[in-house]
Amino acid sequence: MKGLTRRNVLQLGATGAAGVVLGAPAFLRAQSQPVVMLGIWPFTGPFADVGPLLDRGVQLAIEEWGGQVLEKPIKYITRDSETKPGAATRRVEEAIDSEGVQYVIGPWSSGVALAVTEVAKRRKALHYFSGGTEELAGKRCHRYGFQWAVSPYTAMHVVMDKFMELNPQAKRWYLFVSDYAFGWSVEKYIKVAGQKYHIDFVGTDRVLLGTREWSGFVAKAAAAKPDVLCLLNAGQDVIISIREAHNFGLAPQVPVVIGWGVGVEDFVQLDPKNRENLWVGTNAYYTVDTPVAKKYAETYQQKFGVPPGYAPNAAYAMTRLVLRGIEKAKSTAPADVAQALEGWETVDWPGKLRINPNTHQTERDYFFLRCKPEAKMQHAYDFADIIAVGATPLMPTEFNECKDIGTL
Amino acid sequence: MEIEHEETDAFMNVALLATALLNGVVTGMIYALLGIGLSLVLGLLNIPNFAHGVLYALGAYFLISMAQAWLGFWGSMLLAPFGVAALGGLIEYAGVRRLYGVHPDYILLLTFGLALVLTEVIVLIWGPVGITVLPPPILAGGVDLGVTFYPKYRLALMVVTLVLVLATWLFIEKTKYGAIIRAGIEDRDMVNALGINIRRVFTVTFATGAGLAGLAGALVAPVRGLLPTMGIEILPFAFVVVVVGGLGSLPGAILGGLLVGVVQSLMTAMWAPGADIVVFAAMALVLLLQPQGLLGKR
Repeated sequence: MKGLTRRNVLQLGATGAAGVVLGAPAFLRAQSQPVVMLGIWPFTGPFADVGPLLDRGVQLAIEEWGGQVLEKPIKYITRDSETKPGAATRRVEEAIDSEGVQYVIGPWSSGVALAVTEVAKRRKALHYFSGGTEELAGKRCHRYGFQWAVSPYTAMHVVMDKFMELNPQAKRWYLFVSDYAFGWSVEKYIKVAGQKYHIDFVGTDRVLLGTREWSGFVAKAAAAKPDVLCLLNAGQDVIISIREAHNFGLAPQVPVVIGWGVGVEDFVQLDPKNRENLWVGTNAYYTVDTPVAKKYAETYQQKFGVPPGYAPNAAYAMTRLVLRGIEKAKSTAPADVAQALEGWETVDWPGKLRINPNTHQTERDYFFLRCKPEAKMQHAYDFADIIAVGATPLMPTEFNECKDIGTL
Repeated sequence: MEIEHEETDAFMNVALLATALLNGVVTGMIYALLGIGLSLVLGLLNIPNFAHGVLYALGAYFLISMAQAWLGFWGSMLLAPFGVAALGGLIEYAGVRRLYGVHPDYILLLTFGLALVLTEVIVLIWGPVGITVLPPPILAGGVDLGVTFYPKYRLALMVVTLVLVLATWLFIEKTKYGAIIRAGIEDRDMVNALGINIRRVFTVTFATGAGLAGLAGALVAPVRGLLPTMGIEILPFAFVVVVVGGLGSLPGAILGGLLVGVVQSLMTAMWAPGADIVVFAAMALVLLLQPQGLLGKR
């Protein structure tokens, strides 16, 4: 205490008082300043039925966190993507400007996501997306963009390998492909995966999303006499094309393989007869037997009366990873969280996963389901068995166009 | 081997063409049913009924609810259109009628608003996800027509819609009430001056148009399934049918429906991305060359 004069004490006191007066509001402001997350979901347009389900997934994850992270409240807002790149990017920009959005989750369509991720990159908001396009963790990769869905390369190999193991004679495949980024990616990789089995792709119809008249395509497919009708389409297009395949007598004699399906949300829309000889590759299914997945499926089913499908699962899992990333980074700054996520190996939904630091691809399991005949269903939602699970083969570097992910 | 391959290709092309034509006729007849209802209302009341699409959707949803509740498929198919017709009559009586004295834009806005509200009501009652309706067992599966294999339900649909369209045409052209409706389309003031209760004619016409939309929706349910937005999606095509066929013209609606259906289906087989584009391009062409439509008079 020697040397501490009355003047020193007064100075210290004055500095402390000033700190309290000036610093406390800033400190309190920082405490109460919310972490703003945007769910950019399709509430209208071709995927309007999926938007509310995606929204549920985010809300459940935030509820698990008690509505706050790092002692800051989480402010979750939504905007309608309309499944239109223009509308979605405009609304994301507006939400960043008016609400201070730091984290963007969604949308649902790959084509729209590729536009949204450019906004996220420019505005330095962390963007997590789940979809079939290879470009988000490929040609259009950036430090703020993350892909939750399995790479289409891995997914199509899981589907093809298991299906051909069980049906080695099924060499003639006919493809219905959604004519946008998602469809192009999965089409490319189902054809790559089929090379090993000398698959003859006897026909490919690229069809606009939202097409309601599928009879002409089904008739074309039937005329080609395929061993497999493989659907690489999305939304209602999947449901209508399956119905028509049955109406035209193509299915169930010919198996229908959905390469990249949503599972529960599709199954509930189909009559059990339409699910005969139906095989589905998917990023999520509610019977996945890991602690996080089981707990979530129970909570979701208790709350909404039905098990969660791919959409609410993806939204839930992406939100969890963002929130856990914030905790890992001990910061709510998107740049810090992006760094914390890069290269992270952890266990979450659906189980063990790794976030590739070079591409931001989440490397995790993909599932292949076989639908059950109605007589073997033990309850109303006992739609299918998981017959294959795989996180490999990972996309070889020669296919991945993310050569330099850039800077923060 | 080469000749055999060429023969197979030729057979495939004939089969595809036959299927595309059949599909076109089925879709066209559904469009015709929708177009007739829309054309009647548009012709008589001078209002484009933007709720016509959602009334089509309600026909399908009424069918599924009635079938599940107590009536079965056939009973529901008979009653569902009457339910939609009653709703249509109510819409005219309680809403549209009150706006006859003001600018037609108000009626347009009312029907547009109703379309949005009723679509949300569908979501609230039946949920946002699609519903599958299977054809009755007797019409399940398909038949071999020689050139192509075709679903039985679609063939039955073709016959039923043909009968319905003819019956509607007979009702409009050959009955006294049909004559009043036609006269109302030509000159409603004159009909009123003759002592006919034109307001009642308006209500019945609106209900008939709604009933036809509901019938189209119910019939198409086993083919396309149910989705809350199904009405919004089909409405532009119903308008195209009316524009191409001619305002207020029943034969025009039938011709327009068939043309739109067949062109759309053939384009799907040849170049799918152009299937919808060509329909709207055809409408633009008709508007340029014959603004009153192919069989319209005004």
